[in-house]
Amino acid sequence: MEAGTPELGGAARAFAIAAATAILFNTVLACVKDAHKPLQIFMASLTGSDWTTQGIADVALFAFLGLILWKSNLTKNIRPAGIIFSLAGTTIIAGAGLFAWYALY
Amino acid sequence: MLGVLSAVWVFVETLNAHPRNSGRIRTAALVVTLCMAGAWVLGGHWYLHFYPADKALILHGPWPFAHNLFMETKEHLFLLVLILSLYLPIAAWENLHANAAARKLVLWVALLIGVNGLAIESFGAVVNHAAKIALSSPIGKGAP
Repeated sequence: MEAGTPELGGAARAFAIAAATAILFNTVLACVKDAHKPLQIFMASLTGSDWTTQGIADVALFAFLGLILWKSNLTKNIRPAGIIFSLAGTTIIAGAGLFAWYALY
Repeated sequence: MLGVLSAVWVFVETLNAHPRNSGRIRTAALVVTLCMAGAWVLGGHWYLHFYPADKALILHGPWPFAHNLFMETKEHLFLLVLILSLYLPIAAWENLHANAAARKLVLWVALLIGVNGLAIESFGAVVNHAAKIALSSPIGKGAP
């Protein structure tokens, strides 16, 4: 294995930040819809299930935000370590947050 | 489970990244995406159409927490894994053999998919066991 360049490509940077945002959004939306039943009912009315609506919203946010960040090159100044830390940190916090929410709610 | 195994495949190939296995890494990353997207559609169909009966049984059985805690966490944790799985091929399309940062990124994403996937599987086992316990309880056997 070679040491190699420390830089990440534009798409990898942009979609990593979009993924971190969508993952955080997923956890926040899961908590908010449980605490606020009218939102859950509204989400269920869109596709037949609030879980389906949430999944589509997560994927759409990831895709659109990723494309916007990629085309606008807004993530060009974020260091690779920051990208990895954001994505891994968000995933760990979001996963633990979901478990804690359902354990306590 | 195939998605988790494919994520392990990506992880191991990336640890040994070389120009010769870059195609295999990208193929494995796409397999992760396809498996997780398939699980979303097929598992989602099962969850929406067949799980409600199990859910009612579990909630009236001795282990209601299996739904309230484990199933609720599992269904939302899966969406998190889905996002990571959609992202994995994008990261894997970097020249991993020549890019240490991209290698580290792919390793992290594959690891997170694997660990969260295993957590989802184990939560599913708890839900499955709760349904069996409920079926063997007086309510599951049809007692009033």
